[in-house]
Amino acid sequence: MTDTRAGVVDGPDLGPWLRRKKDARLLPRAAQLALPAAGTAMAAFAGDPEALGLVVAVGREPPDEGEAEASLAAMCRDGALARDRLGSEGRALYPPLLPLRTLPNMVLAHLAIAHGIRGENAVFAGGEEAGRHAFEEASAMLREGRAEVVLVGAAYSAVDLASARDRLRLGLSGPPGEGAIFALLSAAMPLPPARLLGVGDLGPVAALTGLLPSA
Amino acid sequence: MTERIVVTGIGMVTPLGRDSESSWAGVLQGRNGVGPIRRFDPTGFPVRFAAEAPVAGDGPALKAELVRLALDEALGQSKLEGAYDPARLGTCLGSEACRPPWTWLWRGDPPSEPELLALAPDAPTRQVEARTRARGPRSTVSTACTSSSQAIGEAMLRIRRGEVDAVVCGGVDALSDPLMVVGFAKLGALSTRNGAPELASRPFDVHRDGFVLGEGAGLLVLERETTAARRGAEVLAVAEGWGCSCNAWRITDSPPDGRGAADAMSMALSDAGLVPADIGYVNAHGTSTQQNDASESTAIRRVLGGVPVSSTKGMMGHLVAACGAVEAILCVLALRDGVMPGSRNLDDPDPACDLNLVRVATHVSLKHALTNAFGFGGSNGTLVFGRA
Repeated sequence: MTDTRAGVVDGPDLGPWLRRKKDARLLPRAAQLALPAAGTAMAAFAGDPEALGLVVAVGREPPDEGEAEASLAAMCRDGALARDRLGSEGRALYPPLLPLRTLPNMVLAHLAIAHGIRGENAVFAGGEEAGRHAFEEASAMLREGRAEVVLVGAAYSAVDLASARDRLRLGLSGPPGEGAIFALLSAAMPLPPARLLGVGDLGPVAALTGLLPSA
Repeated sequence: MTERIVVTGIGMVTPLGRDSESSWAGVLQGRNGVGPIRRFDPTGFPVRFAAEAPVAGDGPALKAELVRLALDEALGQSKLEGAYDPARLGTCLGSEACRPPWTWLWRGDPPSEPELLALAPDAPTRQVEARTRARGPRSTVSTACTSSSQAIGEAMLRIRRGEVDAVVCGGVDALSDPLMVVGFAKLGALSTRNGAPELASRPFDVHRDGFVLGEGAGLLVLERETTAARRGAEVLAVAEGWGCSCNAWRITDSPPDGRGAADAMSMALSDAGLVPADIGYVNAHGTSTQQNDASESTAIRRVLGGVPVSSTKGMMGHLVAACGAVEAILCVLALRDGVMPGSRNLDDPDPACDLNLVRVATHVSLKHALTNAFGFGGSNGTLVFGRA
């Protein structure tokens, strides 16, 4: 690769946001970023979280970050992949939680569990338009009285080998990035401009970066 | 009073048929759509059966063909094409990223740009947008098994808000794939009844042991009633209510008291302006897993009492991101024809599922029907439809 730069978030420390330490193995990178970002937004909230709305934008499904490599290696015979070994040697090493880590609604699920949120919800997938849809939906929830307070945001990470490969194939320029941004809405707010942060591709996060002055 | 939203087009491809009428006939007959896996050689796999759609292909090509068939049918029925200003027509599908076809692993080079775009979760939505030339809001909802139910709810909200006059909505999924089969089997979520696949999907039965992965697509055309009437469209049903909630419980389990599911049903009833006694039939999520069926039963009993309930997954397995849309269409057809589908393989009802379960298709005068969809991670969605 000719460009080795990326916008990478340090950490984060997930300790305060997990009910059980072992839950960390269930968290895709986007959820690792979302938990502290949303936690900061929720810190100011003193109401009943059960009635909160929750709207999240994500990029694509979180990629397999190497968890299945042992399984794939076990599937090889004479240096080539052998499909019949997936049902035997490969299966034994296949990570049982991998399907759950790679579902697109896992960010929403982990936030709902961490904060006890049980109200109306949605997950939009895709690029920047997903972030815009999430904010539109959260605003509409408030306008229509379907929620009094809504936690809305986006989480995305393109800093992994699979994403790097895909970015090269798609001809995307600039370094990849990752991030999460969340806000607690309780009154009508104007739509933010879609403003890039200048740290690379942020997918659906980009559409929401104008929301907070310090973003 | 808010203007009514009507259903003017439906299209579906399921393990029981390549269109709505053949699928519906299969459901009413209680026909089996589950059989040995044909998409790949499952020798040695822990689960060797699935509910595959009668459509050739794999990976994104299969999903695209499922969408094409369902869309052609829905558009043909609704006569929607050319009837709307493209800016007033929206698209909203529930789907997930597509797995690269197994054969790609062997060919030695990574996916091309068009292939990567075809794998993206919003690829089916873009396909529908391109075919309909819609220029209104386009969105893709990804909440696992709740995805397409939520896409229909989202479509209803966008019409109510006046953003559009019509939306093509629904969902698609195809999970008869080696990695999916191994992954969900490792989770312990799938039935392992390899010796008798036709008996594997048995919602609410005491001997149920997991769900059956399936394939299919369901698409609906929803319109504002006045604009549908203006162009003389046939109204199949009324989309009356939508509710959704989170369990906030655990990633894989449902809360035993069914509280999140109950919330979604209560919200959908309220949204439709109905009371529990108005609902004549419930198409349950009913996956054939121990936890879902017991938890959903508790929720239905609490919110809707002794309403007749069935799960059509006994016939067609679990279509995952497409199940909400396909089962919504089954409710539309139930209302149209005045018949409740039965529950295949319900030989010995589980006492923990204390419901008024419909065993075989039964004719009845229906005014309102409700359908549930619940997803891994605790996303719940409920839709209510009314007779035209």
